Amino acid sequence: MDSNIFTFLVGGKAGEGVKKAGSVAAHIFSSLRRHVFQMDDYMSLIRGGHNYSVVSTAPEWISSHYMKANLIVNFDKRSCELHINDIAENGIMVFNSDEHELDIGVGIPLTSEANKYPMKNLMFGVGAVAILAAAIGFEKEKMNQIIKDEYPRGIENNIAFANNIYDVVFPDCGNKFHLEKGAKKRPIITGNEAISLGAIAGGLDTYYGYPMTPASSILHFLAQDADNFGLAVVHPESEIAVINMAIGSAFTGAKAMVGTSGGGFSLMTEGFSLAGITETPLLVVLSQRPGPATGVPTYTEQADLAFALTAGHGDFLRIVASPRTIREAYYLTAEMLDLVWKFQTPGILLTEKHLSESSMTVELDIDKTKWAEPKMHQNGSYKRYLNTDDGISPMLFPPSINVIKWNSYEHDEFGITTENAEKISFMHDKRNKKLDTLIEYLKRQVTVKIIRGDNLFNILTYGSTYMSVLEALRYGNLNPTVVTPIYLSPLPIWELEEFKDQENIVIEQSSTGQFTKLLKEKAGLKIKNTIKQYNGRPFDPIELLERIKEVL
Amino acid sequence: MDDLKTTAEITWCPGCGNFGIFTAIRNAISTLEKMGIKRENIVMTAGIGCHAKIFDYLNLSGFYGLHGRNCSNSEGIKIANPDLKVINFSGDANGLAEGLEHTMFAAKRNQDITFILHNNSVYALTTGQFSPLAEKGWKGPSTPRGSYEQPFNPISLMIEAGATFVARGFAGDIRHLTNLIVQGVEHDGFAFIEVLQPAVPYHNWEEYRERIEYLEKRPETYFEAIKAAKKKHKYTIGVFYRTNKPVYHKELYGYHNPITKKLSKVTRLDKIRKIIELK
Repeated sequence: MDSNIFTFLVGGKAGEGVKKAGSVAAHIFSSLRRHVFQMDDYMSLIRGGHNYSVVSTAPEWISSHYMKANLIVNFDKRSCELHINDIAENGIMVFNSDEHELDIGVGIPLTSEANKYPMKNLMFGVGAVAILAAAIGFEKEKMNQIIKDEYPRGIENNIAFANNIYDVVFPDCGNKFHLEKGAKKRPIITGNEAISLGAIAGGLDTYYGYPMTPASSILHFLAQDADNFGLAVVHPESEIAVINMAIGSAFTGAKAMVGTSGGGFSLMTEGFSLAGITETPLLVVLSQRPGPATGVPTYTEQADLAFALTAGHGDFLRIVASPRTIREAYYLTAEMLDLVWKFQTPGILLTEKHLSESSMTVELDIDKTKWAEPKMHQNGSYKRYLNTDDGISPMLFPPSINVIKWNSYEHDEFGITTENAEKISFMHDKRNKKLDTLIEYLKRQVTVKIIRGDNLFNILTYGSTYMSVLEALRYGNLNPTVVTPIYLSPLPIWELEEFKDQENIVIEQSSTGQFTKLLKEKAGLKIKNTIKQYNGRPFDPIELLERIKEVL
Repeated sequence: MDDLKTTAEITWCPGCGNFGIFTAIRNAISTLEKMGIKRENIVMTAGIGCHAKIFDYLNLSGFYGLHGRNCSNSEGIKIANPDLKVINFSGDANGLAEGLEHTMFAAKRNQDITFILHNNSVYALTTGQFSPLAEKGWKGPSTPRGSYEQPFNPISLMIEAGATFVARGFAGDIRHLTNLIVQGVEHDGFAFIEVLQPAVPYHNWEEYRERIEYLEKRPETYFEAIKAAKKKHKYTIGVFYRTNKPVYHKELYGYHNPITKKLSKVTRLDKIRKIIELK
């Protein structure tokens, strides 16, 4: 195990503050100026069950959690049973001795200590923070300050409890781990926060969302900050209402975004097609979870790729792009908002639970975002669907003395319904021109990110799986070329040409290999092997490394 | 008023009730203009069905949406730019079958839009199937032995859902209907106007004219309104209910306007920087 990487895992029942403890741990690490990656694994329930949070940290950039943890704190018996094999070499497991006895690990009477305070087991999370603080030799005063900031309810009791636990655990675990300090303190954000902030930076005016994991936290974040940024954030009656409201808003010139997961997007496809023919700029955040249907709501997968690429009936231009990292999600959301307005067509920011709900330290250049601005009509009489060389009709929004008609029926340039044979093909041709224009535009942009390696083999991946891959390669000191398309529709085949006949290995989280298929069919790539994982869990870097070695 | 017509060929059946609605809406827009509402501030949406053809004929900005979904388009327009007056055209299937949830929720929210329900009690454009407002026993191609369902009572339904202006008009009384539409657009909140609209292949005008009655006076309270909606027969026209409640967009953001009061990029980035610093 890389001695610089330290992993903390905390497990317990929902409602015991597991995730919060993970996030406070992450902030302790970032206060040591280290990089952090936090992954939360939770079940679709409110109380009980089993949740855990894994936080890995290193002085250098780290792009995944590790399942082998140096310090594990379990609040209950079930957590111990589930994580007994997750203890790293020389790692420690701390368990709740009020619940059970174990031959290994360090037992502390968490329940009886917590019962001395009115909040009882709601304080377990604070206890986990204190155990971590003792184990890494984090000074009590600093720990108390962090607890004060992060747990504003019942501060005095929390601090008393934390100090008590710190002292109880210190003889067994105190100063067990030395964490080298990093270079600078960096903010920690979740993927969905990055997406939300990127959208605001890019010019977002209205956001509509119906709650659905793992996209809900975009709705929550934006609703919380709506007043601050002058946004309208609405939770309507269904995803069908969501997309149609967003389209209505776009008609007035408002930059609209919606967010959902696969099931919700299924309901939106009718409206997605509507955005296609009406040439409505609309950005959909599609955060994938395991399907089909309800699937596994709070876990991760990449099996909606094929769906995203073809969603909605009829021929129209769909732009699909997927961010690889949380940092990139910030820029790409703004970029996609700009693109859908430039090309007046719907687009999808395709991501996964693993990116949406994980958090990591980021260094953001806040100003480096695009700002969505459409081509506007200048003067004279107006036709909404004016035929132009590039297929893009200048826009105009009400109120205007000109009449502006957006139409879901096939229409003439003015926007009036038509069934005329010539006009139907004319308007198809007009819209189709936008694809050529878009490709020419994308050829001047970064659409595929390539890390040049030792040329023995290439790894192709996309979305947040990129982060798992990178961490695995770093851990194993492997140095292949890593090719990650950011844009998936249109697929930048001009960038992939050179890899056609090389040794290509695809890594993705779809049981049927949807990304592999796309690369074969669209880019004509020869694929030697596909490494798939479809158990709802993101890859663990060490396991992934083994699987990469197996196929070499 | 003629400049409110486009040059599109009108394809409603000769004698269709939609002509009456078309005239009334143009009259109403002229009246609203005289009252100081600028025409460019009025936009429309239409769903799919015979009602919706009005989108092509009326020379007014707007959005021609999907079957059942245009009420959501209307809500999105109003939320993004509350300076706009939104007139939402709908058929009874568009608004009460495929689009029922959207209509109910727009009323529940008291969205400040004017919802005009063209009630011909039939799916005219798709060849005469029974609709949400068709009488039980309607024989159409999908119900050859007659429909088994009771029609909705759209007036009591909308009062119950939360609409704050609820009225019924008749396509054959253009002056009365014009007046209802003007009142509806002027009203702050969800204005629902059901319009009895004979479709000539299926109905005859005389039956309507014989049965039409005017509501003597507007019910004063919610319960009186519900009572009137339930007791009066479905050819009774007039304003059934009018009340004042906060409109949705003002509850959402007060007197803000996401379009006209949009924050600049610089201001946004400064605020984002502050948020990130605390993370």
